[in-house]
Amino acid sequence: MRVTGRDYRRHCALALVSAALLAFQIALLQIIATSQWHHFAAFVISIALLGFGAAGTLLALTRNWMVTHQDQLLPLLLSACAAALAGALWLTRALFGGFDSLLLFVDPGELLRLVAVACLLMLPFLCGALAIGLIFTAGAERIGSYYFANMLGSGIGCPLGLVGLSLLLPQQLPPLCAMLPLAATGILLAGERRSANHLGLLLAVGLTSVALLHPAQLPLSQYKDLSRTLDLPGATIIARHPAAAGQVHVVAAPGLRSATGVSLNWSGPLPSTAAVFVNGDMVGSLPPTPGQVDPRDASTYALPYALGMSHEVLVLDAGTGSAVLQALARGAARVVAVESHGLLAEVLAASAPESFGRLIADPAVAWQQTAPRTWLARDRQSYDLVILPDAGSFGGNAGLFALHEQPLLTREALGQAWQRLSPEGLLAITAWVDYPVRTPVRLAASLVEMLVNAGVSDPAAHIAAVRSWGTITFCVKRTPFKAAEVQRVRAFATRWSFDPALLPGLQAEERQTHNRLQDGTFLTLLEALFDERRTTLYNDYAFRIQPVSDDRPFFAQFLRWYRLEAMLALYGQRTLPFLESGLLVAGLAALVLVFLATVLILLPLTRLPSTTRRGWRTLLYFGGLGIGYMWTELALIHRFVFYLGQPVYATALVIGVMLTGSAIGSALTGRLKRLRPGRWTALVAAALLLHALLLAPILQATLPLALQGRITLALLALLPAAVVMGMPFPLGLRLLNREQPAQVPWAWGINGCCSVVGAAMATLLAVEVGYSLLLVLAAGAYLVAVASCNSRAAPARPR
Amino acid sequence: MRSLSVLPYMVFVLLLWIALLSVCSTRAESNRATERMAMVTEQIVARGVKDPATVAAMRAVPRHRFVPRIQAASAYADRPLPIGHGQTISQPFIVAYMTEIVRPGPGRKILEIGTGSGYQAAVLAATGAEVYSIEIIPELATAAAARLRELGYGAVQTRAADGYYGWAEQAPFDAIIVTAASEFVPPPLIEQLKDAGLMILPVGSPFFVQTLMLVQKHGEAITSANLMPVRFVPFRRAE
Repeated sequence: MRVTGRDYRRHCALALVSAALLAFQIALLQIIATSQWHHFAAFVISIALLGFGAAGTLLALTRNWMVTHQDQLLPLLLSACAAALAGALWLTRALFGGFDSLLLFVDPGELLRLVAVACLLMLPFLCGALAIGLIFTAGAERIGSYYFANMLGSGIGCPLGLVGLSLLLPQQLPPLCAMLPLAATGILLAGERRSANHLGLLLAVGLTSVALLHPAQLPLSQYKDLSRTLDLPGATIIARHPAAAGQVHVVAAPGLRSATGVSLNWSGPLPSTAAVFVNGDMVGSLPPTPGQVDPRDASTYALPYALGMSHEVLVLDAGTGSAVLQALARGAARVVAVESHGLLAEVLAASAPESFGRLIADPAVAWQQTAPRTWLARDRQSYDLVILPDAGSFGGNAGLFALHEQPLLTREALGQAWQRLSPEGLLAITAWVDYPVRTPVRLAASLVEMLVNAGVSDPAAHIAAVRSWGTITFCVKRTPFKAAEVQRVRAFATRWSFDPALLPGLQAEERQTHNRLQDGTFLTLLEALFDERRTTLYNDYAFRIQPVSDDRPFFAQFLRWYRLEAMLALYGQRTLPFLESGLLVAGLAALVLVFLATVLILLPLTRLPSTTRRGWRTLLYFGGLGIGYMWTELALIHRFVFYLGQPVYATALVIGVMLTGSAIGSALTGRLKRLRPGRWTALVAAALLLHALLLAPILQATLPLALQGRITLALLALLPAAVVMGMPFPLGLRLLNREQPAQVPWAWGINGCCSVVGAAMATLLAVEVGYSLLLVLAAGAYLVAVASCNSRAAPARPR
Repeated sequence: MRSLSVLPYMVFVLLLWIALLSVCSTRAESNRATERMAMVTEQIVARGVKDPATVAAMRAVPRHRFVPRIQAASAYADRPLPIGHGQTISQPFIVAYMTEIVRPGPGRKILEIGTGSGYQAAVLAATGAEVYSIEIIPELATAAAARLRELGYGAVQTRAADGYYGWAEQAPFDAIIVTAASEFVPPPLIEQLKDAGLMILPVGSPFFVQTLMLVQKHGEAITSANLMPVRFVPFRRAE
């Protein structure tokens, strides 16, 4: 087949618009995660991405007309895509500025706003996808190379988006993304004389220029930590820094103070401080400056120091450095502070040299910028004290973190932390006591199982816990607590009006001297964890409280679906979402997406010729590919984030390699004409099953390698599978074009819809069955596609 | 000339419109009063709030005047409502529960931290207590002060300031209600409590009060108790 100049231009346009849409998606995720919450961001973006499915439907319904007018339509669609990229956020703010996701369960009108916002944000995806789909449909015989350009462009868009987020504020990115489809339009129009197209381009250029000069952003939810802090009189932003891992804000206000869980006996001053936010969520406050007293010593956080001196201390998820400062103040000779956010330490050191800066400069402190889990797996030193990050948050978190992976609170992580302890070493972790009680019980269960797995015969002899009015701090010791240590814990508790909750030899009446609980369930549950009642408790308690594993690292996900009705009866429809909103929103999102996707998929059937009505094979094949690809991608991201230790860059690497690999695979199908879709799809399924079986142990065994070695291994593991995964779609589409050309845009739409639904369902499946099984299920989705190929082969050969 | 001839009709229509609005408004007020009585019976008394002063105050204070106009129809619903600036007006039951605990009445001096809409302060004032209320967000403080005056609760002393410092000039207090709790209890507030005084703080997210923390001062000893407004039944599988 002869390749013309027009083809080259279309390939370039495809790559550019694909890159723009992916970069925009990445920017949008951070914009909404900052202005609202992460799981709402996923919800809104999923609906917006249905623009791909809607484009397929539109194309299927108007295929002949669009293909006939493709030369006029393509530049117009790309200009419209650019205009929508530049203006969607601005329009969203202008029309629905008051949207607040937390009010969704309070004000029904908010749901309409949410749908309207999602629809507006769908526009760029719809226009861009229409352009992509039109090129695919009109040039289905060259689908291999077109799909190559599409995948390659997306593969480039991912790092482009991340680089953009590292250098600019996220709201500045959409107009920049718009410049790519503008360039694509220019390329398509080179040498052409169509005034309507040139006018469209001119308008889009004008709009993009305005958006570049006046970037818009969605308004911050009034319930976000950052928003509430900025509402304080005299609040000022003292530092703001873009970062791919989440933009950092440092805010100071005269009325802003921090003394997490400080004792009611504390009578010292609590000076004003500055708070630190990542994507609008507070991650902590700056540690005190020299000369200021640290109220942390009057909180349960001081328990490990009450037990004795710790010379070597490891602080995981060091954040704003409060735990590091406390360790130094209590005599630690060396502190290793591990923090995964790449820029946090740098920004804080620059904006707060007096408080945080001195920690960075202290020769006794070693700051390590890596994922704490990777550090735990690779580090071979031992420590007198290992401090884990807090579990839960003040007032509960309303389930907002239910879908957040917390890799430091899994069975495996605790086991690794235990291994790092010196012979007399301590592991310390603090939790907020929530109600109904979930977080500290799951934490205690995890610690007990850690001890059991380590071969400790009497776990109760190794755990001490002290409870204040709001927090509980657990200390787990490598050797059983001695009588003198037990006395020290009692003295510490008495001094600050805390109550021992777990301690060898503890009497029942000692547990509620200072802080009474009207509902004693918590203490009963803690007791039950140490004997044979533990398993019964896991099964019977209203919430999930069994320890979580690396395969399902959702520590803050407590909801049991079968208890939903009872919970609704107790708390009411409008209150329950504020108890456990994360999974509910994800479930709701999946339902909405399935409904919308079904409508979009079924709609074209009314217009397809009657001879093509047996489209269920097309549905199964392209649907299976869409779902399987997304499930694979998400399962692999999970594995490699842990392996490579840099969540943002590991995600970029996996997506980038997957898309580039798929692009190569797609290009190969253009050269190897005799390939059969069924066989290659079966090969994908086999490769995924192999990954599910072998990947985890291989990664575990090679974790000690240097970063370059691990990246090489990641490329070796990902690339072959990605190449094969890029083949079934173009192969299937080319075959379909020969057999049922009218179904080509429909098939593309099915693939788009199922990818979005697949992504939404992946989170729910990961929570319920874990990432390993998700990979197996992805293989299953590909096998469904294989089955549809086999049934296709017999009747439908081209005549 | 022609325009002058339609003037009487326009005036008539305007007057008719005003009369209609007035009737609707009176009916709306009457409906709100009925809703309020039902709220007290079904949401407050039925859940165990028995203190006569509290119940009478909850019956008397027009809650719908303390919520944004757009939320007025939901004012007596069994839930908190947004009032702007990330703040809420608490669920009626929580307001009654907290009021009952601080045992308000004539001669009792009560400090409220977080005026918000002013509703809690009005309920306390309606019991005859001497009420002082502090709000850190200036916009909320100004609006609440005006609303309290307008509705006849001008005796409530309000101040736009940082609640951390309490109201030292008027201390000590019999009770302190902190309507928006933080991760710590400000030491000055404990200092400003009378001996045997008590402080109550809700703990939870803006739309869901998990527990109420009751802090009691007995000389030098400070104790806390976690009270559960909604009791949860553990160890149960779904029937």
